[in-house]
Amino acid sequence: MDERNDPGEGRAYLWRLHRILALYVIGVLAFLALMTWAEFQGLSRHWIGPIFLFLTVMVYAGIGVYGRTTDPEEYYVAGRRIPPVYNGMAAAADWMSAASFISLSGALYLQGFSGTPGQAGGLAYLLGWTGGFCLVAMLIAPHLRAMGLYTVPDFFHVRFGGRWPRVIAALAAVLCSFTYVVAQIYGVGLIASRLTGVQFEIGIMLGLGGVLLCSFLGGMRAITWTQVAQYVVLLLAFLIPVSWLAYKQLGNPLAPLVYGAQISKIADLEAQLLDSPAEHQVVQTYLRRAQDFEARLGDVEGALEREREKGRERIRALRAQNADVGLIVTASRELASLPRDVAAARERWTREMRENYERARPLGGLPQQSQAFVGDPHGTPQEQRDYELTRRNFLALMFCLMVGTAGLPHLLTRYYTSPTVAAARASVGWSLFFIALLYLSAPALAVLVKFEVMQNLVGSSFEALPTWMAQWARVDSSLLSVEDVNGDGIVQFGEIRLGADLIMLATPELGGLPYVVSGLVAAGGLAAALSTADGLLLTISNALVRDLYFQDSQRQVSPEQRVILTKFALLAVALSAAFVAALKPSEILPMVSASFSLAASAFVPVMVLGIFWRGTTRQGAVAGMLAGLGVAVYYMLSHVAAMRALPSWVLADGLWFGIQPISAGVFGVPTGFCVAALVSWWTRPAPLPPPIRSEM
Amino acid sequence: MPLFTQPPRSADIELAGPFPPDLHDVRHLWLKAGLLLLWALVSFGGTYFARDLQLLVFGSWPLGYWIAAQGAVLVFIGIVVAYGWAMNRFERQDAARAQSGEAVAAGSAEAPPRRHG
Repeated sequence: MDERNDPGEGRAYLWRLHRILALYVIGVLAFLALMTWAEFQGLSRHWIGPIFLFLTVMVYAGIGVYGRTTDPEEYYVAGRRIPPVYNGMAAAADWMSAASFISLSGALYLQGFSGTPGQAGGLAYLLGWTGGFCLVAMLIAPHLRAMGLYTVPDFFHVRFGGRWPRVIAALAAVLCSFTYVVAQIYGVGLIASRLTGVQFEIGIMLGLGGVLLCSFLGGMRAITWTQVAQYVVLLLAFLIPVSWLAYKQLGNPLAPLVYGAQISKIADLEAQLLDSPAEHQVVQTYLRRAQDFEARLGDVEGALEREREKGRERIRALRAQNADVGLIVTASRELASLPRDVAAARERWTREMRENYERARPLGGLPQQSQAFVGDPHGTPQEQRDYELTRRNFLALMFCLMVGTAGLPHLLTRYYTSPTVAAARASVGWSLFFIALLYLSAPALAVLVKFEVMQNLVGSSFEALPTWMAQWARVDSSLLSVEDVNGDGIVQFGEIRLGADLIMLATPELGGLPYVVSGLVAAGGLAAALSTADGLLLTISNALVRDLYFQDSQRQVSPEQRVILTKFALLAVALSAAFVAALKPSEILPMVSASFSLAASAFVPVMVLGIFWRGTTRQGAVAGMLAGLGVAVYYMLSHVAAMRALPSWVLADGLWFGIQPISAGVFGVPTGFCVAALVSWWTRPAPLPPPIRSEM
Repeated sequence: MPLFTQPPRSADIELAGPFPPDLHDVRHLWLKAGLLLLWALVSFGGTYFARDLQLLVFGSWPLGYWIAAQGAVLVFIGIVVAYGWAMNRFERQDAARAQSGEAVAAGSAEAPPRRHG
């Protein structure tokens, strides 16, 4: 606060922060150099992972302990004195979740420009997650900052009064943040368990300890400085492997500037692969397999019996010729792994049929890297429809991610911590800059990895496969599988399948970097997941305590007691999120993208109307939020398999305009705007309020 | 310090009643409208016509891909920076006008103090 009043002192404070940051960056680089030296001296790989994990989490926890506070102003909004550059850095770390860091490059590798009609993606994520900041900067953040609030539901209370706007906003904030935080903790568990080899659940607990020390003790103040520290780690962890790969392939480490050269080469290689007879063989084999599964699905019961009989027959034959014990064991294991009953068989074979059909397409089902949208606007009717649907879903997803960015509470509260309204505007600019540093390199990484795979891996022999591939395939076969489908001993592009999460994690090994860089990349993923989890947990617990529990004025407690209660709510939320994450829910990633649609529909229409139209009434706000959220949730739930049990007339029939349920915000946002405006107009004679606040 | 230490008590806000936003300055609204138009053109327009733009190749970059992968993000940064710069300028102008208005008012009692918007 003092810094704001006295510019000279403020500058001294800023310089002190710059010095600390510079020392920290030098420390991280020196640590990396030390570890590299130790690796060359023969430090075992079993130690490198745990050292990275332990030390980074200890640094974050140390900052948390140093920044501990019970002062509400510090706990909720970090004293409102974070300079824009650091606020931007913290917001960037807050924003970039495990999904951005680990999966974005993978998605760009797998989906190319735009994804397929059924699953839009690719550059839509990149554009959506950056373009939303224009909306934040111009429509929302400075206006919220000018009001001097503490949480996002506060806005609805201050602007509209009454209790319902705030309660609904708080519930919506909890709804969209909780699914998001579960995904982050899941990511923490995944990385911690891979890095150290401990069990998944213990990995979750290790990571959770770091999150809790930070947000539990210090609230927003500690989280801000931890996020700055985490941003440095995650930026280095992303840029080092990308620059190395670019240097190796193109002789220039500035990947975003030079990777264009590889795009045309990839297009040529793709054309070659599309003509290659070996690739056609692979496609034919997958097609045969898919048709085999389809035939089995025609008569599941009979097919299952035949498969079992075939297995028993084989074991008998092996026994009869006194075959090796190992062979017999393998055969009986295969028999035992057959589906137990008809329902399980139907489920598994349907899945395998779909997977095989998926892979029985040219290029292993991947769209061409730089081609905008699949299909062809001048081709057959089917191609035209594909083109139209891909483009429409691409734009819809981009819209939902952009508008959702402007509505996600954990991001908006970050701009409450800036000293002035002008600083809030500058903070948004800095956030976008720091995010772009990483996001401009993500497509570069995808293109460089694809070139590496197409140029060096495809056409090599199966005996000469690098060892890291086998190691990753052992960790999880859904991450990486290579199989000699056509039996010629040579790797075809269609025979390799890489999971979205693998691309980033395996880049150091693909580029032949020392193992230390793999440790750094994992630490970067951990930093991304932890920083986002910190912000989300604080948002949820504040919404629960400040906006739901204390929203009626009867409970008279001191601000310190309020903070303590918030801390315990945070602990409870963190533990329940860890519990849900430990169940390993499989549909986590769709849920995260869905939370953007929910935030977009629930918050943005009413918030924008409330800020820019004086005629918005309380009733209009409530109706708008409920209608927007309702439409989005209804459209999503209508396409969840578990809801099929309900009578069919309750659910939305089919896809509206061919839009995928993940982009439900396309319908929720306009509905929210229309309903809020109409109801406000209906309940129009808003009483003229006395002029009390004149900030901004 | 005393200005900001206490969070606004719910009870106080309840008494004061909800408050509507201040009337927005027209210059600010035009600025926002212009920048939002540019934002929509680059992001939605740029990708809607990506297939056609793909035919234009600059150096080694197909234009449609470049816009979606880099150009749009750079324009977004430009938009946010331009907005912050322009708003700061408007606020400085307003402050200067308010000051000179006060000076004029103090100098000659007849001249009415100019309102600033």
